[in-house]
Amino acid sequence: MTPDRPDGLLAAEYVLGLLEGPALALVERRLRSDSGFAREVEAWRTRFSDFDHSAETHQVGENIWHRIEQALPTTSAVAAPLRSSWREWLWDSLPALRATAVGASLAVLLLAVALAATIRQAGRAPTMIAVLLDGDRPGAVVEVFADGRATLMPISNIPVPLGRALQVWTLPSKERGPVSVGLMPQAQTLPLTLSTVPQPQPDQLFEITLEPEGGSPTGRPTGPILFKGNTARRL
Amino acid sequence: MTVAGQQGALEAQVAAALTRCAAGERAALRVIYDIEAARMAGVARRIVRRPELAEEAVHDTFVNVWQAARSFDPQRGAARSWLYAILRNRAISILRDEGRFSPDEDVAEIELDAASATARLPESSALRRCLEHLDGNKRAMVVLAYVHGLSHGELAGRLRLPLGTVKSWLRRSLASLRECMG
Repeated sequence: MTPDRPDGLLAAEYVLGLLEGPALALVERRLRSDSGFAREVEAWRTRFSDFDHSAETHQVGENIWHRIEQALPTTSAVAAPLRSSWREWLWDSLPALRATAVGASLAVLLLAVALAATIRQAGRAPTMIAVLLDGDRPGAVVEVFADGRATLMPISNIPVPLGRALQVWTLPSKERGPVSVGLMPQAQTLPLTLSTVPQPQPDQLFEITLEPEGGSPTGRPTGPILFKGNTARRL
Repeated sequence: MTVAGQQGALEAQVAAALTRCAAGERAALRVIYDIEAARMAGVARRIVRRPELAEEAVHDTFVNVWQAARSFDPQRGAARSWLYAILRNRAISILRDEGRFSPDEDVAEIELDAASATARLPESSALRRCLEHLDGNKRAMVVLAYVHGLSHGELAGRLRLPLGTVKSWLRRSLASLRECMG
């Protein structure tokens, strides 16, 4: 993303906590797959560690330890705690689910089921849902309704750098290419503008890209894809 | 015991306790808590400012450490730097996501802290020696970013410098630190 920035300095900026948004997401992904880069990061952590080890100490209340103990899973990290609402359990369990190899698809599936169930309860059922992911991290859900309306709901924090915006795209056909269906200065629930495209079909791509404020100047995605996913019929 | 010796002993204790956490031994998490929680609260407080938010960061860190203990790989890095990386990430998230800094808050106090965090470093610290080679503002940027979790934009505001200048000076400072510290 910033080819002018050598890896060592990128690692340093990451360790300092200066990366945000897509740059941060890219680095975190790379950290898991690129052992050379991971070593750069570790070297910077070591260089700065004296700051942490020489910090002033502040006594922490004993109640904090009790809260920690209560928050620990009783048997293993993925054991399902007893909750009044299984949807609440699902939200809380997403990080743990994602930590397992099969977690990602399971999390998405459960998420779709939970959302469909919730929305049905509200008496307004979408005909299709797309869960937009960054790798295995769910970022937003697109719901398409029978009357042709569609809404995007963010489900994770999506930081937007100053002077940039989030743009939502769909791909009605390969021939036509991506069409903008929404623009927002920050992550928010957004009605999508589908009037210029045919009614969405199953397995149709939706994605969110980072664009300049006011939207892509070319009418096509120009920035990095933050989240993407395909529509599936309601479960 | 020398500073280096103390740090080595702490590292060994924490690394051993982490291994036991990975095996599901809760008492080992308490060992780490007894060794590190107060220091972690100090590190977090410099970032989030408010004591109750610092305690929240410490709480979240220990829950994360328990869940992620099995992913800690002693071949890839030190146990304590792993712990403090989790803590700093969490504290910075609390700071950024919840916007705890009001723009005019405690400017003078924070500028002063840039010097005091450096002054707390042990005399023998290579970090301290190498930071002292940097000019005032360049040193302050590194310290305010690492110790207080300031973003590029906040650094520009506090040091009254253009954003581009902050970014390029900071990169130069980091390159010079790396050269100095090896």
